[in-house]
Amino acid sequence: MPITKNRLGAALALSVSVTSGAALADESKVLNIYNWSDYIAPEAIEAFSEKTGIEVNYDVYDSNEVLEAKLMSGGTGYDLVVPAGAFLERHVQADIYLEVDQSRLSNYDNLDQVMLEKVARYDAGNEHSVPYAWGTIGLGYNVDQVRERLGDTPVDSLDLVFNPDVAAKLADCGIAMLDSPAEVVSMALNYLGLDPNSEKKGDLKKAEAMLQSVRPHIKYFSSSKYISDLANGEICLAVGYNGDVLQAQGRAEEAGQGVNVGYSIPSEGTLVWFDVMAIPADAPHPDAAHKFIDFVLQGDTAAGISNYVYYAVPNVAAMPLLDEEVSSNPGIYPSEDVKAKLFTQNAHTPKFDRILNRSWSNTKTGR
Amino acid sequence: MSLYTAIEPEQAEACADGGASVPLWRQEGAEPFVKIENVTKKFGDFTAVDNVSLNIYKNELFCLLGGSGSGKSTLLRMLAGFETATSGRILIDGVDTSGIQPWKRPVNMMFQSYALFPHLTVTENVAFGLRREGVSRSETKQRVAQMLDMVQMGHLGKRKPNQLSGGQRQRIALARSLIKRPKLLLLDEPLGALDKKLREETQFELINLQYELGVTFVVVTHDQEEAMTLATRIGVMNQGQIVQTAEPHEVYEYPNSRFVAEFVGSVNLFEGKVVEKAPGSVRIDSRDAGTTLSNNHGIDCAANQVVNVAVRPEKISISHEDPEQRDNCVRGKIEDVAYMGSLSLFRVRLDNGFEVRVTKPNLMRAAAERFTWDDLVYLSWDEDSSVVLTS
Amino acid sequence: MSIIAESVRLTGPTLRALILERLGQIKCGRYAVISIPGLWLAVFFFIPFLVVFKISLAETAIAIPPYTSLFEFDLEEALLEISINLGNYRYLFEDDFYLAAYLNSAKIAAISTFFTLLIGFPMAYLIARSHGTTRTLLLSLVILPFWTSFLLRVYAWMGILQKNGIVNDFLMSIGLIDTPLTILQTDIAVYIGIVYTYLPFMVLPLYTALEKLDGALLEAAQDLGCKPAQTFFLITLPLSLPGVVAGCLLVFIPAVGEFVIPALLGGSDTLMIGRVLWDEFFLSRDWPMASAVATVMLIVLVLPIMLIRNNAEKQGEAA
Repeated sequence: MPITKNRLGAALALSVSVTSGAALADESKVLNIYNWSDYIAPEAIEAFSEKTGIEVNYDVYDSNEVLEAKLMSGGTGYDLVVPAGAFLERHVQADIYLEVDQSRLSNYDNLDQVMLEKVARYDAGNEHSVPYAWGTIGLGYNVDQVRERLGDTPVDSLDLVFNPDVAAKLADCGIAMLDSPAEVVSMALNYLGLDPNSEKKGDLKKAEAMLQSVRPHIKYFSSSKYISDLANGEICLAVGYNGDVLQAQGRAEEAGQGVNVGYSIPSEGTLVWFDVMAIPADAPHPDAAHKFIDFVLQGDTAAGISNYVYYAVPNVAAMPLLDEEVSSNPGIYPSEDVKAKLFTQNAHTPKFDRILNRSWSNTKTGR
Repeated sequence: MSLYTAIEPEQAEACADGGASVPLWRQEGAEPFVKIENVTKKFGDFTAVDNVSLNIYKNELFCLLGGSGSGKSTLLRMLAGFETATSGRILIDGVDTSGIQPWKRPVNMMFQSYALFPHLTVTENVAFGLRREGVSRSETKQRVAQMLDMVQMGHLGKRKPNQLSGGQRQRIALARSLIKRPKLLLLDEPLGALDKKLREETQFELINLQYELGVTFVVVTHDQEEAMTLATRIGVMNQGQIVQTAEPHEVYEYPNSRFVAEFVGSVNLFEGKVVEKAPGSVRIDSRDAGTTLSNNHGIDCAANQVVNVAVRPEKISISHEDPEQRDNCVRGKIEDVAYMGSLSLFRVRLDNGFEVRVTKPNLMRAAAERFTWDDLVYLSWDEDSSVVLTS
Repeated sequence: MSIIAESVRLTGPTLRALILERLGQIKCGRYAVISIPGLWLAVFFFIPFLVVFKISLAETAIAIPPYTSLFEFDLEEALLEISINLGNYRYLFEDDFYLAAYLNSAKIAAISTFFTLLIGFPMAYLIARSHGTTRTLLLSLVILPFWTSFLLRVYAWMGILQKNGIVNDFLMSIGLIDTPLTILQTDIAVYIGIVYTYLPFMVLPLYTALEKLDGALLEAAQDLGCKPAQTFFLITLPLSLPGVVAGCLLVFIPAVGEFVIPALLGGSDTLMIGRVLWDEFFLSRDWPMASAVATVMLIVLVLPIMLIRNNAEKQGEAA
């Protein structure tokens, strides 16, 4: 098998070099990016093209799973992708990324060292990736409806969703939960005082039992639907990504229907996530990809992105350039003591993944 | 049961045909079985049936004859209850049928396409009507067997319709429509889908069956020969109206209009002007014939009225010698000869260019006088043989 | 599990003979004609199915592609090593989760199919009984929804069924209910979605069957004493049965594997095999397991249907 493959590969390479010799010059002026939807400031792409003369083809996806399925099939033709941390870890194991040549990134020193260290838990030595943005998973809530039902109970606690007595009070106005087994179970383990990255069956059982106990009060599990539902008052509480909740907040304000959305980071500590830039092993234009990464690491570019997408960037040079509204929002840039309690969720072994997913399916379907 | 049920003694004696009685429709004041009174049926702007009144008597085999679009099928469908008359009414056995649904009428219909249920066997098809009536299983079985035997299909009871020939389907359709012993059976082109030979055989079977069962039949057909063979009486329809109702020979020999004369059989029509009118006879000067024509039937016409004189081809005699007749004699040249076995057909071109059709039976193999192409011939007929048509 | 077999070799002459023999057959035009649908089936059904089946016998691996190869060919020793993993199928039968998912999918599909038939039949009947431009208009109305994206139409239903959606607003405005009904994220919403989406697939074959139905047959039945209802059950329904069967299959089969509708309209507790497949593929990243689920679904669905069809054909021939 390997022999045939190599021969075929050689033959293909030969034919390509013969036929496309003329077009080669232009080819190097192209960059194919595959990123999350609504995850960059449009001006950043324009500015990059203007500066380097490289034409950017920009495609978007809306789930890590879709990105992963494409990458795992190979031959995507993308030069730069933006996976989440736990996915990155698995992808590095599968050897699907090129190493990033840090010597070619003049702005690499702009990166926040603390954040680089956290990302290194997924990618040893930050060899295959450069952090793009980060955020937290927390509680998005309808301020008035929750106050009406819970009074002065503090809203910065996971009791709201993980304590059946409290959750029961909110069931009638609707609780939504991320449909992301690894992340939610990790938070559940942390809430129960266990290791959030535990792969012990017993720990998983405890987490499942707790989740089952609140299951009757949860309206649905979804990783995207809660944005519009929070905004129009269809639900009153969601465990969701900070950026999404802030987006819901913005939409609710725009709609002017009197829906008031808040975001809180649980005092128990919560999950921090990272999205990183990485270059697929078969990327046709790795040089252009490096140039783009370096461009994103510029303080002004990073600040522009953060101001636009309402997510935090791990870039110290960007901090002074942020809009006041963004930098002072604790939902985007939390305080240092909150930051200290953040934990990461690592990739699981395939075997644990299966048990985890089965447990999650059982929880969701209430079996 | 006899074909002619109600016999009045004096009329029976008066009747010339040995032993048979006078049929009901010739009797004054006989009660009709089906009474159609001023029935009109309109589909939007189109008048399918136009103010038709018609009486059909018990045990008749009445044929509605007409071309397509003449309204005959619509009339039949109104009898079955599938169409409702726009105005007028229909009585069957003395009962006004308006508002009576098809499934409640004592009437059955045999459809032109036979409409056999393709998912049911022959037996199930025939039994269908009885099962709906709630007849017991055993009786149904017995009656179906009897009916299938009668149409000689007893051996095919387990087959599905698509495994039958056209003739077999026709019999099953007939059996199915008769099983409920309807007072009135409607047949829509019952023989239309059969080939010629089979049609001729079946015609007689149909007549015999009707005679045996004593059911009143109303048959719709466009085939005048079929109507002639089957019918006790024929109703000729044209453009929604019944133009003539009469016994078959009457329709043929004494058509009451140019339409009927042309529609039923073949005919030569000479247009002309009435020049002499006496009680019981009339003389007509015809440009078409190039001579005067006379007729001894009393007809209602005025002097100088333009009329048509109709002469059937077989009523005309053909000869080489001039029969020296004052009227009803024309001369021409044989243009075409068609030998048809039992008879020969001649197309004769008159001196004035008018074409006349003549048939002559081939009575002997070698006739004394032979007629062939380009012969100059004289055509003549009796005063009695023509019909003068005013409409 | 690992089976070691000797390599199979096709030598030059035999191969040529085989090809020539095949070519000889293909010469006959009739084979060529038959082979077109055969080729279509092979390219678009059989080969993809074999690929899926092959993956279902592999094991997961962290690699591209994320599963092991079945065949290892050692050129020096002329050894073909085949490793087949039946563990996925064993797991499929051991864990009653899958059985529950299959059964629930079948239940949802069956109920939806029933209601699709219930709504589709009168529609098809009406269209088949109408004439001229009315018929053309009604038919194009049935097909019209295909002009917009399926996804968009399902999203529209979310708007219709949600708490402050059209249905609830209407019911509350006429005073039938005080508090909004929860329809979205329930099985009822899934039924509505499936019935709505697949209705054309039911109506069109039914229409074709009913349109062929000779009106004279219905009149004949009435003439022989059938009231309209009896006519329907004794004549119309049995004669449109091929259309009913075709329509039901066209709705049932895709409904069993339906993913989008339960995902968008259904609740998180709506367990369907399409969702399980998605989870195995995307969440567990277990392509072999996902393939095994798909293979079993295909066999469970297709086999009985082929048997039913065969049986029906035999009956048709015997009659």
